[in-house]
Amino acid sequence: MQHFALEQALNYLIQTGAINLKPLDNKTIRFSLKDLPLDVNFICTNNRIFVVSDTSQHSDVNISLSAGVFFALFKGEDLTDLLRQDKIVIHGDVKIAQLLVDILQSVDIDLEEVLSQYTGDIVAHKAGKIAKNFKQAVQNSSNPIDTIKDGLSKLMITPVVSKLYKNKHH
Amino acid sequence: MDNTTHFGFKDVATEDKQNLVRGVFDSVASKYDLMNDVLSFGAHRLWKRYTIASSNVKTGDKILDIAGGTGDLAIAFRKKVGESGHVILSDINAAMLGEGRKNLINKGIFGVDFVQLNAQFLPFADNTFDCVSIAFGLRNVTDKDQALAEMHRILKPGGCLLILEFSKTDSEFLKKFYDFYSFNVMPTLGDLIADDKESYQYLAESIRKHPDQETLKNMVLDAGFGFCEYHNLSGGIVALHKGIKV
Repeated sequence: MQHFALEQALNYLIQTGAINLKPLDNKTIRFSLKDLPLDVNFICTNNRIFVVSDTSQHSDVNISLSAGVFFALFKGEDLTDLLRQDKIVIHGDVKIAQLLVDILQSVDIDLEEVLSQYTGDIVAHKAGKIAKNFKQAVQNSSNPIDTIKDGLSKLMITPVVSKLYKNKHH
Repeated sequence: MDNTTHFGFKDVATEDKQNLVRGVFDSVASKYDLMNDVLSFGAHRLWKRYTIASSNVKTGDKILDIAGGTGDLAIAFRKKVGESGHVILSDINAAMLGEGRKNLINKGIFGVDFVQLNAQFLPFADNTFDCVSIAFGLRNVTDKDQALAEMHRILKPGGCLLILEFSKTDSEFLKKFYDFYSFNVMPTLGDLIADDKESYQYLAESIRKHPDQETLKNMVLDAGFGFCEYHNLSGGIVALHKGIKV
Protein backbone atom coordinates (compact mmCIF):
# COMPACT_ATOMS: atom_id res chain seq x y z
CA MET A 1 0.00 0.00 0.00
CA GLN A 2 3.04 2.26 0.28
CA HIS A 3 2.83 3.23 -3.39
CA PHE A 4 -0.77 4.43 -3.07
CA ALA A 5 0.08 8.08 -2.31
CA LEU A 6 2.70 8.24 -5.06
CA GLU A 7 0.19 6.94 -7.61
CA GLN A 8 -2.36 9.48 -6.39
CA ALA A 9 0.13 12.33 -6.63
CA LEU A 10 1.31 11.38 -10.12
CA ASN A 11 -2.20 11.06 -11.50
CA TYR A 12 -3.25 14.31 -9.92
CA LEU A 13 -0.39 16.01 -11.76
CA ILE A 14 -1.40 14.31 -15.03
CA GLN A 15 -5.00 15.43 -14.57
CA THR A 16 -3.95 19.03 -13.90
CA GLY A 17 -1.69 19.03 -16.94
CA ALA A 18 1.53 19.36 -14.98
CA ILE A 19 2.88 16.10 -16.43
CA ASN A 20 2.89 15.11 -20.08
CA LEU A 21 2.74 11.33 -20.20
CA LYS A 22 2.71 10.92 -23.98
CA PRO A 23 6.44 10.10 -24.35
CA LEU A 24 5.94 7.21 -21.93
CA ASP A 25 2.66 5.93 -23.36
CA ASN A 26 2.34 2.14 -23.09
CA LYS A 27 5.67 1.78 -21.30
CA THR A 28 6.18 -0.21 -18.13
CA ILE A 29 9.13 0.69 -15.95
CA ARG A 30 10.14 -1.41 -12.98
CA PHE A 31 11.79 0.07 -9.90
CA SER A 32 13.51 -2.40 -7.58
CA LEU A 33 15.18 -1.42 -4.34
CA LYS A 34 18.00 -3.83 -3.53
CA ASP A 35 17.93 -3.42 0.24
CA LEU A 36 14.22 -2.95 0.88
CA PRO A 37 11.10 -4.91 -0.11
CA LEU A 38 9.98 -2.25 -2.54
CA ASP A 39 9.58 -3.56 -6.07
CA VAL A 40 6.99 -1.81 -8.23
CA ASN A 41 6.01 -1.32 -11.83
CA PHE A 42 5.09 2.08 -13.16
CA ILE A 43 2.58 1.33 -15.94
CA CYS A 44 2.02 4.35 -18.16
CA THR A 45 -1.14 3.82 -20.16
CA ASN A 46 -4.45 5.48 -21.09
CA ASN A 47 -3.00 8.83 -19.99
CA ARG A 48 -2.46 7.73 -16.40
CA ILE A 49 0.12 5.94 -14.31
CA PHE A 50 -0.58 2.81 -12.32
CA VAL A 51 1.95 1.96 -9.65
CA VAL A 52 1.54 -1.75 -8.91
CA SER A 53 3.41 -4.35 -6.92
CA ASP A 54 2.72 -7.04 -9.55
CA THR A 55 6.09 -7.40 -11.24
CA SER A 56 5.48 -10.80 -12.80
CA GLN A 57 5.02 -9.41 -16.30
CA HIS A 58 7.58 -8.07 -18.72
CA SER A 59 8.67 -4.47 -18.21
CA ASP A 60 10.32 -2.25 -20.85
CA VAL A 61 12.94 -0.95 -18.45
CA ASN A 62 14.28 -2.29 -15.15
CA ILE A 63 15.83 0.16 -12.71
CA SER A 64 17.66 -1.34 -9.76
CA LEU A 65 19.07 0.79 -6.97
CA SER A 66 19.50 1.08 -3.21
CA ALA A 67 17.07 2.93 -0.96
CA GLY A 68 19.57 5.73 -0.37
CA VAL A 69 20.05 6.28 -4.09
CA PHE A 70 16.26 6.12 -4.58
CA PHE A 71 15.78 9.05 -2.23
CA ALA A 72 18.73 10.90 -3.74
CA LEU A 73 17.07 10.51 -7.12
CA PHE A 74 13.82 11.94 -5.75
CA LYS A 75 15.71 14.90 -4.32
CA GLY A 76 17.01 15.75 -7.77
CA GLU A 77 20.29 13.82 -8.09
CA ASP A 78 21.35 13.45 -11.71
CA LEU A 79 20.59 10.02 -13.19
CA THR A 80 23.64 10.07 -15.47
CA ASP A 81 25.94 10.82 -12.54
CA LEU A 82 24.47 7.94 -10.56
CA LEU A 83 24.90 5.66 -13.57
CA ARG A 84 28.54 6.68 -13.91
CA GLN A 85 29.11 5.94 -10.24
CA ASP A 86 27.50 2.49 -10.68
CA LYS A 87 24.96 3.36 -8.01
CA ILE A 88 22.08 2.53 -10.28
CA VAL A 89 21.61 -0.30 -12.77
CA ILE A 90 19.33 0.10 -15.76
CA HIS A 91 18.30 -2.69 -18.12
CA GLY A 92 16.55 -1.32 -21.17
CA ASP A 93 16.24 2.08 -22.77
CA VAL A 94 17.96 4.66 -20.55
CA LYS A 95 16.00 7.45 -22.24
CA ILE A 96 12.73 5.95 -20.99
CA ALA A 97 14.21 5.63 -17.51
CA GLN A 98 15.29 9.26 -17.67
CA LEU A 99 11.78 10.35 -18.67
CA LEU A 100 10.24 8.58 -15.69
CA VAL A 101 12.87 9.94 -13.32
CA ASP A 102 12.14 13.45 -14.63
CA ILE A 103 8.48 12.89 -13.82
CA LEU A 104 9.21 11.54 -10.36
CA GLN A 105 11.48 14.49 -9.66
CA SER A 106 8.69 16.82 -10.72
CA VAL A 107 6.52 15.48 -7.90
CA ASP A 108 7.48 18.55 -5.93
CA ILE A 109 3.91 19.10 -4.87
CA ASP A 110 1.83 20.75 -2.25
CA LEU A 111 0.82 17.50 -0.58
CA GLU A 112 -1.97 19.23 1.33
CA GLU A 113 -3.58 20.31 -1.94
CA VAL A 114 -3.35 16.84 -3.49
CA LEU A 115 -4.72 14.99 -0.51
CA SER A 116 -7.54 17.42 0.10
CA GLN A 117 -9.02 16.16 -3.18
CA TYR A 118 -9.50 12.77 -1.60
CA THR A 119 -9.69 13.12 2.12
CA GLY A 120 -10.91 16.59 3.03
CA ASP A 121 -9.05 19.58 4.40
CA ILE A 122 -8.41 18.33 7.92
CA VAL A 123 -6.58 15.20 6.81
CA ALA A 124 -4.78 17.17 4.14
CA HIS A 125 -3.54 19.54 6.80
CA LYS A 126 -2.25 16.60 8.81
CA ALA A 127 -0.59 15.26 5.66
CA GLY A 128 1.05 18.61 5.17
CA LYS A 129 2.48 18.39 8.66
CA ILE A 130 3.73 14.88 7.89
CA ALA A 131 5.29 16.17 4.68
CA LYS A 132 7.02 19.00 6.50
CA ASN A 133 8.44 16.60 9.05
CA PHE A 134 9.19 13.97 6.46
CA LYS A 135 12.62 15.15 5.33
CA GLN A 136 13.89 15.30 8.87
CA ALA A 137 12.28 11.97 9.76
CA VAL A 138 13.87 10.24 6.78
CA GLN A 139 17.28 11.61 7.72
CA ASN A 140 16.89 10.37 11.30
CA SER A 141 15.32 7.01 10.47
CA SER A 142 17.29 3.87 9.84
CA ASN A 143 14.47 2.64 7.61
CA PRO A 144 12.92 5.38 5.46
CA ILE A 145 10.21 3.05 4.11
CA ASP A 146 8.89 2.51 7.64
CA THR A 147 8.63 6.27 7.97
CA ILE A 148 6.60 6.42 4.76
CA LYS A 149 4.40 3.52 5.87
CA ASP A 150 3.70 5.16 9.24
CA GLY A 151 2.72 8.38 7.52
CA LEU A 152 0.43 6.65 5.06
CA SER A 153 -1.18 4.53 7.79
CA LYS A 154 -2.14 7.72 9.60
CA LEU A 155 -3.65 9.09 6.41
CA MET A 156 -5.67 5.91 5.78
CA ILE A 157 -7.14 5.93 9.26
CA THR A 158 -8.00 9.60 9.70
CA PRO A 159 -10.59 10.25 6.95
CA VAL A 160 -13.33 9.18 9.33
CA VAL A 161 -12.19 11.75 11.84
CA SER A 162 -12.13 14.36 9.11
CA LYS A 163 -15.68 13.59 8.04
CA LEU A 164 -16.99 13.75 11.59
CA TYR A 165 -15.19 17.02 12.10
CA LYS A 166 -16.70 18.46 8.95
CA ASN A 167 -20.20 17.36 9.90
CA LYS A 168 -19.89 18.96 13.29
CA HIS A 169 -18.57 22.26 12.08
CA HIS A 170 -20.42 22.93 8.84
CA MET B 1 -19.58 -32.62 -17.05
CA ASP B 2 -20.76 -31.45 -13.60
CA ASN B 3 -23.75 -29.14 -14.00
CA THR B 4 -23.89 -28.04 -10.39
CA THR B 5 -22.52 -25.01 -8.62
CA HIS B 6 -22.59 -23.71 -5.09
CA PHE B 7 -25.22 -21.50 -3.55
CA GLY B 8 -23.72 -20.79 -0.17
CA PHE B 9 -22.83 -24.23 1.20
CA LYS B 10 -25.48 -25.97 -0.91
CA ASP B 11 -24.87 -27.54 -4.29
CA VAL B 12 -27.49 -26.46 -6.80
CA ALA B 13 -28.04 -26.88 -10.52
CA THR B 14 -26.01 -24.25 -12.39
CA GLU B 15 -29.08 -22.88 -14.14
CA ASP B 16 -30.86 -22.43 -10.80
CA LYS B 17 -28.24 -20.28 -9.06
CA GLN B 18 -29.15 -17.06 -10.83
CA ASN B 19 -32.78 -17.30 -9.69
CA LEU B 20 -31.76 -18.20 -6.15
CA VAL B 21 -29.44 -15.19 -5.93
CA ARG B 22 -32.18 -13.04 -7.39
CA GLY B 23 -34.49 -14.21 -4.62
CA VAL B 24 -31.95 -13.18 -1.99
CA PHE B 25 -31.57 -9.68 -3.37
CA ASP B 26 -35.27 -9.21 -4.07
CA SER B 27 -35.73 -9.91 -0.39
CA VAL B 28 -33.01 -7.62 1.00
CA ALA B 29 -33.14 -4.72 -1.51
CA SER B 30 -35.19 -2.29 0.56
CA LYS B 31 -33.01 -2.73 3.67
CA TYR B 32 -29.69 -3.25 1.84
CA ASP B 33 -27.96 0.02 2.80
CA LEU B 34 -29.14 -0.12 6.40
CA MET B 35 -27.93 -3.72 6.75
CA ASN B 36 -24.57 -2.87 5.20
CA ASP B 37 -24.06 -0.10 7.74
CA VAL B 38 -25.12 -2.28 10.65
CA LEU B 39 -23.27 -5.46 9.66
CA SER B 40 -19.98 -3.77 8.74
CA PHE B 41 -20.16 -1.10 11.47
CA GLY B 42 -20.00 1.44 8.64
CA ALA B 43 -16.69 0.09 7.36
CA HIS B 44 -18.13 -0.61 3.90
CA ARG B 45 -18.07 3.14 3.32
CA LEU B 46 -14.32 3.25 3.97
CA TRP B 47 -13.71 0.20 1.74
CA LYS B 48 -15.64 1.85 -1.09
CA ARG B 49 -13.87 5.14 -0.54
CA TYR B 50 -10.52 3.39 -0.89
CA THR B 51 -11.78 1.67 -4.04
CA ILE B 52 -12.69 4.99 -5.62
CA ALA B 53 -9.37 6.54 -4.63
CA SER B 54 -7.52 3.57 -6.16
CA SER B 55 -9.38 3.78 -9.46
CA ASN B 56 -7.34 6.59 -11.04
CA VAL B 57 -10.57 7.65 -12.72
CA LYS B 58 -10.39 11.04 -14.40
CA THR B 59 -12.67 13.67 -15.86
CA GLY B 60 -14.30 12.39 -19.03
CA ASP B 61 -13.87 8.67 -18.27
CA LYS B 62 -16.45 5.99 -19.07
CA ILE B 63 -17.28 3.78 -16.11
CA LEU B 64 -19.35 0.64 -15.70
CA ASP B 65 -20.33 -0.33 -12.17
CA ILE B 66 -21.53 -3.94 -12.16
CA ALA B 67 -23.75 -5.28 -9.37
CA GLY B 68 -23.89 -1.63 -8.37
CA GLY B 69 -27.03 -2.07 -6.31
CA THR B 70 -27.91 1.04 -4.38
CA GLY B 71 -25.32 3.11 -6.22
CA ASP B 72 -22.62 4.02 -3.68
CA LEU B 73 -19.79 3.64 -6.18
CA ALA B 74 -21.74 5.11 -9.10
CA ILE B 75 -22.41 8.30 -7.12
CA ALA B 76 -18.71 8.72 -6.31
CA PHE B 77 -17.67 7.90 -9.89
CA ARG B 78 -20.18 10.40 -11.27
CA LYS B 79 -18.55 13.16 -9.24
CA LYS B 80 -15.09 12.18 -10.50
CA VAL B 81 -15.84 11.91 -14.22
CA GLY B 82 -17.81 15.16 -14.40
CA GLU B 83 -20.22 16.24 -17.09
CA SER B 84 -18.00 14.98 -19.91
CA GLY B 85 -17.81 11.48 -18.44
CA HIS B 86 -20.29 8.64 -18.48
CA VAL B 87 -21.27 6.33 -15.63
CA ILE B 88 -23.49 3.27 -15.99
CA LEU B 89 -24.96 1.69 -12.88
CA SER B 90 -25.88 -1.92 -13.59
CA ASP B 91 -27.28 -4.84 -11.67
CA ILE B 92 -28.82 -8.17 -12.56
CA ASN B 93 -31.55 -7.57 -10.02
CA ALA B 94 -34.38 -5.18 -10.91
CA ALA B 95 -35.29 -4.52 -7.27
CA MET B 96 -31.70 -3.49 -6.43
CA LEU B 97 -31.49 -1.32 -9.53
CA GLY B 98 -34.77 0.32 -8.52
CA GLU B 99 -33.31 1.10 -5.09
CA GLY B 100 -30.23 2.54 -6.80
CA ARG B 101 -32.31 4.77 -9.05
CA LYS B 102 -34.35 5.98 -6.06
CA ASN B 103 -31.19 6.61 -4.05
CA LEU B 104 -29.53 8.68 -6.79
CA ILE B 105 -32.65 10.75 -7.40
CA ASN B 106 -33.00 11.40 -3.67
CA LYS B 107 -29.40 12.60 -3.58
CA GLY B 108 -29.86 14.80 -6.62
CA ILE B 109 -27.43 12.80 -8.74
CA PHE B 110 -28.34 12.80 -12.42
CA GLY B 111 -26.51 11.78 -15.57
CA VAL B 112 -26.10 8.13 -14.55
CA ASP B 113 -27.57 5.46 -16.82
CA PHE B 114 -29.18 2.34 -15.39
CA VAL B 115 -28.86 -1.03 -17.11
CA GLN B 116 -30.15 -4.39 -15.92
CA LEU B 117 -27.60 -6.96 -17.03
CA ASN B 118 -25.91 -10.25 -16.33
CA ALA B 119 -22.16 -9.86 -15.67
CA GLN B 120 -21.50 -12.95 -17.81
CA PHE B 121 -22.97 -11.32 -20.92
CA LEU B 122 -22.11 -7.63 -20.99
CA PRO B 123 -24.02 -5.82 -23.75
CA PHE B 124 -21.22 -3.43 -24.69
CA ALA B 125 -18.69 -3.21 -27.50
CA ASP B 126 -15.05 -4.20 -27.05
CA ASN B 127 -12.70 -1.55 -25.58
CA THR B 128 -15.46 0.76 -24.33
CA PHE B 129 -14.72 1.59 -20.67
CA ASP B 130 -11.85 3.19 -18.77
CA CYS B 131 -12.90 1.47 -15.57
CA VAL B 132 -15.16 -1.43 -14.61
CA SER B 133 -16.01 -1.97 -10.95
CA ILE B 134 -17.85 -4.69 -9.08
CA ALA B 135 -18.26 -4.35 -5.33
CA PHE B 136 -19.55 -7.27 -3.28
CA GLY B 137 -21.06 -8.81 -6.39
CA LEU B 138 -18.58 -11.22 -7.96
CA ARG B 139 -19.18 -13.97 -5.42
CA ASN B 140 -22.82 -14.14 -6.55
CA VAL B 141 -21.91 -14.62 -10.21
CA THR B 142 -22.39 -18.20 -11.41
CA ASP B 143 -19.49 -18.32 -13.87
CA LYS B 144 -16.86 -15.93 -12.53
CA ASP B 145 -14.29 -16.74 -15.22
CA GLN B 146 -16.73 -15.84 -17.96
CA ALA B 147 -17.68 -12.61 -16.19
CA LEU B 148 -14.02 -11.63 -15.78
CA ALA B 149 -13.37 -12.34 -19.47
CA GLU B 150 -16.30 -10.10 -20.37
CA MET B 151 -15.01 -7.32 -18.13
CA HIS B 152 -11.62 -7.61 -19.82
CA ARG B 153 -13.23 -7.45 -23.26
CA ILE B 154 -15.17 -4.23 -22.66
CA LEU B 155 -12.27 -2.39 -21.00
CA LYS B 156 -10.06 -0.17 -23.14
CA PRO B 157 -6.36 -1.00 -23.22
CA GLY B 158 -5.03 0.66 -20.09
CA GLY B 159 -8.45 0.28 -18.48
CA CYS B 160 -8.75 -0.73 -14.86
CA LEU B 161 -10.88 -3.43 -13.23
CA LEU B 162 -11.73 -3.03 -9.55
CA ILE B 163 -13.11 -5.95 -7.58
CA LEU B 164 -14.06 -5.19 -4.00
CA GLU B 165 -15.10 -8.39 -2.29
CA PHE B 166 -15.07 -10.30 0.96
CA SER B 167 -11.96 -12.42 1.23
CA LYS B 168 -9.85 -14.47 3.64
CA THR B 169 -8.07 -13.20 6.71
CA ASP B 170 -4.75 -14.70 7.83
CA SER B 171 -5.26 -13.72 11.43
CA GLU B 172 -6.41 -16.69 13.53
CA PHE B 173 -7.98 -14.40 16.12
CA LEU B 174 -9.83 -12.37 13.50
CA LYS B 175 -10.91 -15.56 11.73
CA LYS B 176 -12.48 -17.00 14.91
CA PHE B 177 -14.24 -13.74 15.71
CA TYR B 178 -15.40 -13.35 12.11
CA ASP B 179 -16.71 -16.93 11.90
CA PHE B 180 -18.72 -16.46 15.09
CA TYR B 181 -19.97 -13.07 13.95
CA SER B 182 -20.98 -14.12 10.45
CA PHE B 183 -22.68 -17.43 11.31
CA ASN B 184 -24.38 -16.29 14.51
CA VAL B 185 -24.74 -12.53 14.70
CA MET B 186 -25.32 -11.70 11.01
CA PRO B 187 -28.29 -14.04 10.42
CA THR B 188 -29.83 -12.92 13.70
CA LEU B 189 -29.50 -9.26 12.77
CA GLY B 190 -30.88 -10.12 9.33
CA ASP B 191 -33.87 -11.68 11.04
CA LEU B 192 -34.40 -8.73 13.40
CA ILE B 193 -33.87 -5.86 10.97
CA ALA B 194 -34.77 -7.23 7.54
CA ASP B 195 -37.00 -10.08 8.66
CA ASP B 196 -34.86 -12.42 6.57
CA LYS B 197 -32.51 -14.83 8.33
CA GLU B 198 -31.89 -17.10 5.34
CA SER B 199 -30.51 -14.36 3.07
CA TYR B 200 -27.91 -13.39 5.64
CA GLN B 201 -27.04 -17.02 6.26
CA TYR B 202 -26.42 -17.22 2.50
CA LEU B 203 -24.26 -14.09 2.70
CA ALA B 204 -22.01 -15.72 5.33
CA GLU B 205 -21.80 -18.98 3.39
CA SER B 206 -21.14 -17.34 0.02
CA ILE B 207 -18.20 -15.42 1.50
CA ARG B 208 -16.61 -18.70 2.60
CA LYS B 209 -17.07 -20.21 -0.87
CA HIS B 210 -15.51 -17.21 -2.63
CA PRO B 211 -11.93 -17.65 -3.91
CA ASP B 212 -9.16 -16.33 -1.66
CA GLN B 213 -6.95 -13.39 -2.63
CA GLU B 214 -4.30 -15.30 -4.57
CA THR B 215 -6.82 -17.51 -6.38
CA LEU B 216 -8.84 -14.50 -7.49
CA LYS B 217 -5.68 -12.70 -8.58
CA ASN B 218 -4.80 -15.65 -10.81
CA MET B 219 -8.35 -15.74 -12.19
CA VAL B 220 -8.03 -12.06 -13.14
CA LEU B 221 -4.70 -12.71 -14.86
CA ASP B 222 -6.13 -15.78 -16.62
CA ALA B 223 -8.96 -13.60 -17.94
CA GLY B 224 -6.33 -11.68 -19.91
CA PHE B 225 -5.35 -8.81 -17.63
CA GLY B 226 -1.66 -7.90 -17.85
CA PHE B 227 -1.32 -6.94 -14.21
CA CYS B 228 -3.25 -7.66 -11.06
CA GLU B 229 -2.59 -6.79 -7.45
CA TYR B 230 -4.71 -6.84 -4.36
CA HIS B 231 -4.83 -4.85 -1.17
CA ASN B 232 -6.24 -6.39 1.98
CA LEU B 233 -8.59 -4.18 3.93
CA SER B 234 -9.63 -4.75 7.55
CA GLY B 235 -7.15 -7.57 7.97
CA GLY B 236 -8.18 -9.37 4.79
CA ILE B 237 -11.88 -9.60 5.62
CA VAL B 238 -12.23 -7.60 2.43
CA ALA B 239 -9.78 -7.29 -0.47
CA LEU B 240 -9.58 -4.90 -3.37
CA HIS B 241 -8.24 -6.53 -6.54
CA LYS B 242 -7.05 -4.19 -9.24
CA GLY B 243 -6.51 -5.55 -12.74
CA ILE B 244 -5.02 -3.57 -15.60
CA LYS B 245 -5.63 -4.42 -19.24
CA VAL B 246 -2.54 -3.90 -21.34
